[in-house]
Amino acid sequence: MSRMEELCEYLDLAAFRQKLIASNLANVDTPGYRTRDINFQGEMRRAEDRLGPEAPTPRVFEVPGLIERPDGNNVNLDRESLLLARTQLQFRLGVELLRQEFQRISTAVKEGS
Amino acid sequence: MNLFGVLEISGSALTAERQRAEVLASNLANAQTTRTPKGGPYQRQLVVFETVQAGNMRFAGVLSGVSDRYAQGVEVKRVVPDPTPPVQRYEPAHPDADSQGYVAYPAINPIEEMVNLMGAARSYELNVAAVQATKNMISQSLEILS
Repeated sequence: MSRMEELCEYLDLAAFRQKLIASNLANVDTPGYRTRDINFQGEMRRAEDRLGPEAPTPRVFEVPGLIERPDGNNVNLDRESLLLARTQLQFRLGVELLRQEFQRISTAVKEGS
Repeated sequence: MNLFGVLEISGSALTAERQRAEVLASNLANAQTTRTPKGGPYQRQLVVFETVQAGNMRFAGVLSGVSDRYAQGVEVKRVVPDPTPPVQRYEPAHPDADSQGYVAYPAINPIEEMVNLMGAARSYELNVAAVQATKNMISQSLEILS
């Protein structure tokens, strides 16, 4: 897996997680809703080990050990807000690294002529 | 991976929370209403939230493309009346008083409604923060090739 493919995978996973966090936050008042998440590191490793060109769909699970409200909803606002900030920074990191990668190519093209 | 679909999810929550706030405001406004078109005092309304697949949301699905089973938004499924019986108050001079002089008032506790209204406002803010975060991510991804 090339560095660029790896970075694409990283960004894809961050965007996927952002979607789950948005779902969790949207359903903060829905009775019976369960918090869902992915194992970021595990999914990254799984993507690196894959054989085909197609990235595997991340495995989504219901987060265990969260305190449940009487209506059966277990969305924890602090957890989701922290994850939201973290995922945003992770995405930013991925974008910066990918940009550098493209700039390296661009430099090689320009300096070679 | 489609980040526009994420905006759709948070947007559904904004709509639902705003509807909830509207219903709560109407409960507060009608806390003393003794006459309605149906007759009798105003009945307190409650909203029922339900998760919905992002692709199946009303007005949605254009930008988000195919329905995605991990993208779960929320919508107000129903607005149901609170079955609690009205509160009887002794006011013989009131035009809506019955033969014994009692007036039926809606069973609405303004404090409870206010607390719910604050909850709706907080949830709205929370989802606005999620929209901001997603917006930032989208504009950052546009910088990759700049």
